[in-house]
Amino acid sequence: MHTNKTTIDLALEVPMRTQVTTAADITGGAATRAGPPCSSAVVVAGLRKSYGAVQAVHGISFTVSRGEIFALLGPNGAGKTTTLEILEGFRARDAGRVEVLGFDPGDRAAGRALRERIGLVLQDIAVEPYLTVRETLARNAGYYPAPRDVGEVIDLVGLAGQRQQKVRSLSGGQKRRLDLALGLIGRPDLLFLDEPTTGFDPSARRDAWQIVRSLRGEGTTILLTTHYMEEAQALADRVALISGGQIVAEGTPSAIGGRDTARARIRFALPEGCAAADLPVDAGPSDGLVTVETAEPTRTLHQLTGWALQHGTRLEQLTVDRPSLEDIYLRLTGHDALQPVAERSTR
Amino acid sequence: MSIAIPQSRRGDPALLWHQVRYEQLSFWRNPQSAFFTFVFPVVIIVIFGALFRGSNGSSYFYGLTALQYYVPTIAALSVLGACYSQLAIVLAMRREAGILKRVRATPLPAWAYFLALLAHCVMVSVVDVALIVGIGSLFGVPFPTHWASIAVALVLGAASFCTLGVAVASLIRNAEAAPAVVQLVLFPLLFISGTYTPIHSAVLNRVSGALPVRAFNQDLLGAFGRQAGLDWKNLGVLLAWGAVGALIAIRRFRWNPRPE
Repeated sequence: MHTNKTTIDLALEVPMRTQVTTAADITGGAATRAGPPCSSAVVVAGLRKSYGAVQAVHGISFTVSRGEIFALLGPNGAGKTTTLEILEGFRARDAGRVEVLGFDPGDRAAGRALRERIGLVLQDIAVEPYLTVRETLARNAGYYPAPRDVGEVIDLVGLAGQRQQKVRSLSGGQKRRLDLALGLIGRPDLLFLDEPTTGFDPSARRDAWQIVRSLRGEGTTILLTTHYMEEAQALADRVALISGGQIVAEGTPSAIGGRDTARARIRFALPEGCAAADLPVDAGPSDGLVTVETAEPTRTLHQLTGWALQHGTRLEQLTVDRPSLEDIYLRLTGHDALQPVAERSTR
Repeated sequence: MSIAIPQSRRGDPALLWHQVRYEQLSFWRNPQSAFFTFVFPVVIIVIFGALFRGSNGSSYFYGLTALQYYVPTIAALSVLGACYSQLAIVLAMRREAGILKRVRATPLPAWAYFLALLAHCVMVSVVDVALIVGIGSLFGVPFPTHWASIAVALVLGAASFCTLGVAVASLIRNAEAAPAVVQLVLFPLLFISGTYTPIHSAVLNRVSGALPVRAFNQDLLGAFGRQAGLDWKNLGVLLAWGAVGALIAIRRFRWNPRPE
């Protein structure tokens, strides 16, 4: 049933292709990496954290394998950043087990050895204003045992033109690029990205995604948080959907929340002079377009197009799709319920 | 790639020097910090020089001329600015901006970060003191001779005021309040400790004698003066305050802009 849904709807085709590259990249990355192939970069089990009476993280468990891109996807206040900050060693946990590259991030004694192997890009921009881009990176490079080349990182994040510019004179977007460069400079095995592309324009976002993919190609494990569906879809090998401090779904972007097994939706405009009852299959209520839900899109589509050809008519605006990651996200994070009743009834 | 990494950290002294270099670079590029640490004490000593240049030769304070008195006390003032005020304000600002949190995210050990700041502040203090002494000589104050005593008093004083600066940065919550709190603590202390005018009140001297600013003034006055040797009682007071500052800093210092 996966086979022929691709040609009609572009929205389906793009993620499919991304998935293919993804699989190839994983194998490529895994082949070049050291260490036992099945060991995990991050293990979180039964993690809990409260701020006063507010339970920010409510028993979260997940595992990030070495070399994969794992996304924590969820609305603001879902507990993504709290989880990340516990993994980064900035916050203490109330309960649960946490392991980052085999270290407990809450254990300060292991801090230096752990920090030599992780890179962080935090949400807000904070860089010393009076140094130049090059100096800032050269300073941080000096903290690591085997840093990347400063010039190479500057080129990678696209700041070659700003090399000698003082940080204070950079634009917001350029500062974020520098922030990303600082996360990469230590040649981390594991990179944490907390909403890395918030505030980026579309082309800057694509650039950032390209950098993240190329890092994964080198074997870097990446744990990112995001509230952008496209970002999780485009980058992540696996996604955990967080809502209210809990993981409500986990899986690959194309299968999470039952996306892959959900019924497909075929939509088209009813040909003029025809009624819904004339169709060879059962159709749902029309909202201008007819919607047919089916577990067998191949067969149903064949019936519909055959019927149309027979009657010498066309199915205008024909699309086939499945619930988007956004549909799943909205359903599982409970935001669907907030939509006005009138709008929902038309679906 | 993780396999390729030889676990070769640079040695501690090299790491420290690396960090000091970049602290120096940020400092000299920041016009505001340069103003407060250099221009202010220079202006004061020039004013005192202009005021008292005619009275050279007459005793102003136990056999010292007025400018022989003010060169050490204003030198002490400049060290307070370079260490205590500067550090408290800069650290509060860096914390609020999230810069300290980033430092914490790197493998740079906390001791290296603070030791580099200390070394940086001592270097700036040395430049400051040399500047004040140089300007003093233009007004006819002879160069001091007991450089070893001056060096000991200067380094111990600078270190103590650095820990106190870090302590104040640890106790204040937001960066906007930092300059006000710093001045509020320092200003009365400077006056009762004889920085701007010699104090002859026994009660006041007893009070300020237990506080760090007077102890430091006395130390530098002694080291700049004719009699060699250090005033160990005052050094003790200074070191005790330095220890208090260090204790508060160790227990209360926060890297994170938002308390947990």
